[in-house]
Amino acid sequence: MEMRDLVALGDKLLDIDEAKFRQVVDLLERMNDHPDILRTIAVIRPRLIELRLNRRPTLKRLFCDPFEDLFEALGKADPVPLSVIERALMNSLWPLVEAEIGKERLRAFRPALQYGPERKALSEAFWTECAAAVSKIAEGAISGHYSDALELRMNPDRTRALADIATILSIAPDVIELKAALSPKPVPKLHADHMEAIQTIGRRISRARPAALKIFVLLAASRLTDPSVLLSGLWDMDLGQKPADRASLFMSLSGTVVAQIEERSRAWQTAAGGDRMAVADLALHLVASLDATRAAMEHSRNKEFDRRLKDIRSSVHAMVNTQVLQDADAGIVAAIGALDGGSDGRAQLVRAENHARALRKCATIADSLGLRGELREMTRKTTVTLTEKAQQALAGPAGNPRTGYTAIRMIELIAGPAEANKIMDGIMSGGRR
Amino acid sequence: MRSLTNFAPSTFEERGAAVAFTTPVLAQTRARKDSRDQLEVLVPNLSEGRGVYVVPWKSLPLAFPMTVHDRMLHDLIAKADACSPDDIRKAVLEAARCGLAGAGAVSAAEAALKDDEEQRLLINYQLIVEALKAVGLESTEILRVGLTSAEGQKLTRDLMMKAAQRLALEPTELYGRIAELAVLMESIGLASSPKPARLRRLMRDLNGFRDSMTDWATDNVSEAAPIGGFCAEVAEHTVNHARNVIGQLDQAMASFETLLRQWETKRPQIRKASSRLSWLLDGWEYLILLWSDALTQDRHTQAMAVHDIFRVIPLLPKDEGRANQSQMADTLISSHKRSVRAYVDWRSGQLDVDLVMRIETIKGRAA
Repeated sequence: MEMRDLVALGDKLLDIDEAKFRQVVDLLERMNDHPDILRTIAVIRPRLIELRLNRRPTLKRLFCDPFEDLFEALGKADPVPLSVIERALMNSLWPLVEAEIGKERLRAFRPALQYGPERKALSEAFWTECAAAVSKIAEGAISGHYSDALELRMNPDRTRALADIATILSIAPDVIELKAALSPKPVPKLHADHMEAIQTIGRRISRARPAALKIFVLLAASRLTDPSVLLSGLWDMDLGQKPADRASLFMSLSGTVVAQIEERSRAWQTAAGGDRMAVADLALHLVASLDATRAAMEHSRNKEFDRRLKDIRSSVHAMVNTQVLQDADAGIVAAIGALDGGSDGRAQLVRAENHARALRKCATIADSLGLRGELREMTRKTTVTLTEKAQQALAGPAGNPRTGYTAIRMIELIAGPAEANKIMDGIMSGGRR
Repeated sequence: MRSLTNFAPSTFEERGAAVAFTTPVLAQTRARKDSRDQLEVLVPNLSEGRGVYVVPWKSLPLAFPMTVHDRMLHDLIAKADACSPDDIRKAVLEAARCGLAGAGAVSAAEAALKDDEEQRLLINYQLIVEALKAVGLESTEILRVGLTSAEGQKLTRDLMMKAAQRLALEPTELYGRIAELAVLMESIGLASSPKPARLRRLMRDLNGFRDSMTDWATDNVSEAAPIGGFCAEVAEHTVNHARNVIGQLDQAMASFETLLRQWETKRPQIRKASSRLSWLLDGWEYLILLWSDALTQDRHTQAMAVHDIFRVIPLLPKDEGRANQSQMADTLISSHKRSVRAYVDWRSGQLDVDLVMRIETIKGRAA
């Protein structure tokens, strides 16, 4: 079977029934780490995650266990880790680690894959050896050069990722404890027990391997729905550092969080396209992250971050203004006119409904973005035009009731049911229903 | 205070009929008549615990902010002053056709009404054929010339006159009996029907829901798993009851001559069985669609859908089943309570746009 067929098979695997899917995954796992198989697995990974299949335990999977939270996000809605490790890098790295440790030695670690009394000790020993192996491999990979061993060009991100993997593996038992405390992933809100666990484990790492503390905090953040949530808790957390180190760690994490928000705010220009609801959802999430980050940074009062956060807020402001507010009335009212225009009219109506919903959603962040006046004016203007349309259609002698009711529905989507009910009652009390 | 899951109604009428509101907190709440024959509505506890709000129908818009669609539906049901599943369905389709719940709901309502019309024609034709067959008359000629053609109608009239003579009935009486039977069987259809009617389709879908929910709950470690198992069990009991009722109706239709001859005795039985079937399957259509929609989403959404289903699941009344489902549901309340859902947007306290949209999407799939 050719690679192309395998990738095509991956697409089909997303639609077949669950029982068959499980069988095929089992078969794929029995085959070796062939690049074609890896490619197929990559295609079906979202479904693997969704079904939470208990995949066959392997040493490679055990190797990845401590740092898997930093793998690139698969779905658009998945939280993006603050420090990303490419799956491709890990796939190239593992054979080198295997070769470094040696087959005989690796065989001795196999019982770590089964439940048993020696599992914990063996896993920890395995990670220690892996950490040493990765450190050694990392030494040979020079940033900016092509690595023959890894078959990858070593850009600064990959060099940093290799060092991160080595560091994480060296504190693997602590990371496993953290994963257990912050479960199930993603954690939407940090509770007292979560904070206590992060603090206890963090203090332990701070004493034993202070250099690993930052990546540990990034790992903790990667298990949250919104990594910026950790910022607010981090300032009050005593991780056993000196005040200067603590401030430096906080600034470093803040910088990473801000960079991530910047990245997300830039993504809308390419990703959101014409979907107004997607724009509104993105704006809502960005404003929530901005507010959480801004509140947490009250302690640091860093002008550079303040400026960057302001820039992001301006970018979200522009996004909402151009994608949601501008010409909203024209699009929505035009769709009412095209109501009887067949299927195309219906598609236009659905788009207009989404635009109206997006307007309503943005009402919750308009204050924060300084768009309150513009939004209120647009809502008023559109509502007045729609009310006229509804009046003509429902109270007039030759009106089309469907057009009238659709205009009322649009008012409801934009201004809420209370306003729409009031207008409807006004029209009905003076005419027919 | 009683809850929809721990309150154990004795009859279907006491349980009430599900109303397809689009306001999230009111979705699938039940309408019924109180002791003074006034409409009232049962709203499950908002904190997902025990208890239910019993609200007089006319006060509902004052107690809960409603979408414009729901206000219209509320008015239509109030005007009809009736709350059987068929009465509610009629009002729901009428409200949906206006366009207040979106274009999808309009298409679904129009498709449902068209399907009703087709089933009405089909059952009328099938019952005439059955009547002729019962007295040994051949009906293939009608099919050849077409029931709706002038020739076909004349042929049908002649044959029905003969059939009435053989049954010792007045022709108008025979026509009357068949017309009444067609109304009673319209939503159920005949077993031999080339296209299963609405309630038969719903029973088949409920069977699928039961299987799918059982599969989901098996080997699932989430807190929603026992609740999913319970939902599958309720579906199973309901399917079994529905199957019995359909079996009785099919049996009665199979002895069509006896049915026509013993009309006075059989008519109440058919009427009761037909009404019981629509009560049995009432409220399930939305839940089946909700679940099939959740199956395309992630596990967390599926668990939340299980809680949503549990909140309004149509438990069998005490008079219908040997097992007390309300008592069984009571044991699950503690798990269910942990999934309290905000039915409004937490930022503004207003209707949650996404939740309303989801309900409308599901409404658009019901046909």
